Amino acid sequence: MSSPALGSARRPWLLLAPTLAVIGILLLWPMVRVVLLSFQDFGLRELVRGGAEFVAIDNYRDVLTDDRLWRVALPNTAIFALVCVVLTVAVGTLVALLLHRLSPGWRTLVTMSVMAAWAVPAVTGTYVWVYLFDARAGFLTGVLGQLGLVDVATQNLFTERGWFYAIATLNVVHHGFPFVAVTVLAGLMTIPTELPEAAMIDGANAWQRFRHITVPMLRPVFAIVTILSTIWDFKVFTQIYLMPGGDGSNREVLNLGTWSYITAMSQNKFGLGAAIAVLLTLLLLAITAVYLRTLFKEEEL
Amino acid sequence: MRRLLGRSGLVLASLTVVVFSIFPVFVMLGTALDPAANAGGRGVIPSGISFEHFARIFSQTRFPDYLLNSLIVAVVTVVASGLLALFAAVAVARFRFSGRTKILMMILIVQMVPMEALVIPLFLQARNLGLLNSLLGLSVVYIAFSLSFAIWTLRGFVAAVPVELEEAAYLDGASWWQMFWKVLFPLVAPGLVAVSVFSFILAWNEFIFALTFMADDDMYTAAVGLRTFFTRSGTDWGAVMAASSIITVPVMIFFVAVQSRLSSGLMAGATKG
Repeated sequence: MSSPALGSARRPWLLLAPTLAVIGILLLWPMVRVVLLSFQDFGLRELVRGGAEFVAIDNYRDVLTDDRLWRVALPNTAIFALVCVVLTVAVGTLVALLLHRLSPGWRTLVTMSVMAAWAVPAVTGTYVWVYLFDARAGFLTGVLGQLGLVDVATQNLFTERGWFYAIATLNVVHHGFPFVAVTVLAGLMTIPTELPEAAMIDGANAWQRFRHITVPMLRPVFAIVTILSTIWDFKVFTQIYLMPGGDGSNREVLNLGTWSYITAMSQNKFGLGAAIAVLLTLLLLAITAVYLRTLFKEEEL
Repeated sequence: MRRLLGRSGLVLASLTVVVFSIFPVFVMLGTALDPAANAGGRGVIPSGISFEHFARIFSQTRFPDYLLNSLIVAVVTVVASGLLALFAAVAVARFRFSGRTKILMMILIVQMVPMEALVIPLFLQARNLGLLNSLLGLSVVYIAFSLSFAIWTLRGFVAAVPVELEEAAYLDGASWWQMFWKVLFPLVAPGLVAVSVFSFILAWNEFIFALTFMADDDMYTAAVGLRTFFTRSGTDWGAVMAASSIITVPVMIFFVAVQSRLSSGLMAGATKG
């Protein structure tokens, strides 16, 4: 700190001021506001005239006693997320193990295609899957029809909750596995080759080497990709909203994200929508906390 | 024999991954180029190559306007968030002041806040400020959501610039601002490229806020404007896929270009959702 220019005590705060203002107004205050809203009866009238009545926990009571939460939105969120996370991490890890064994030329080819899958925006990617499963024109609907799984003449897959979420799972896993593959591959590169070689000499097969060398050494990497995938897959919005019926016209396929959005934006029940958004965020925080605790306990990081 | 089997197994597995990965992009481009895209066949192999869907969306739909809106929003986001993040990164990397660590932690933690959870309060706030239906209003939201990652990334780049270079500039009589623009700025340019790509992709791909803020169909971004091809009388799949290709290809080029330069960890979380 020899230079007088560096010594200026006010300069760092001047440099930080615009950032702090943006974060404060656009991230921190809205976080407070969404919690405040969730305790208010905020509808169209309040939107126009301003002011809102404090209704304590009425919104939360309404949500938690709503049959739609327990029968529709929560299962559609939690079971879907669970399946997506397991599949994303499994597929991503398998692709990483494959990439690790490939020659440089093949590895570049496969990495480039995996990157291409990653780069497809959620919006356009979702429209492709919708097109592929379209009742009239869908290629994959045709394949399912050939396999006898679907009656192409009468069935529209998007109207059935199970099929709807199966298609959404395919979409989300396809979009999510490249991140896992690339991250796990980076982890695999850090394992010294002597370890698996020594194990091989000791007669360990591929599964034993994976189970007893790769998994323990990459535990932090797996923890990170699992936590991030869980957070992403719990709050999936675009991929559901853009599928036929996902925008609220089919109530059976609502998840917590789309339910919150539709309650606020289409029905103008901003307080109730905010309460659902807060519950979703609390759920995410709880899951992250549990993961981190398990991780810290095992690893003493 | 076992070795040969292993080799062909690897090739087979590789080809499976390649086909699975690029299948949607292949279908997107194939349908966009297929003159019979709206005929209702179940094929994915184009019946021919034609640019008629591209010509149609540019001459007969609002898509060019939507593309321009997206471009404006993305450029404003990239420039503003890059500049703000660079200022903040210099502050936390070059100065020691009380509260520095707390601010860094705060910036890290706000990145965890899901965008989706803030759409309701930000909609009400933007409505009060008259920022709905405005490209600026939308850009401001994207600036907020791209700042955190940008600051943390640029912080590393700024810290890597030797302090001696700054001191040399002062010895030559430069003021702090001259030093900032002439010395620091060019040296952290590669970092700025990286965070620019990140904020561009965020602004270009984003859907919920673009959907919520733009009630007027003049102001749609490209990602939201795709909805206009879904009508009561049916879906113009040729137009959807042609427009989707135009949205997807620049992102893909950026992505692959940056991937070769950046470690995977840096891009983590950059493009999800």
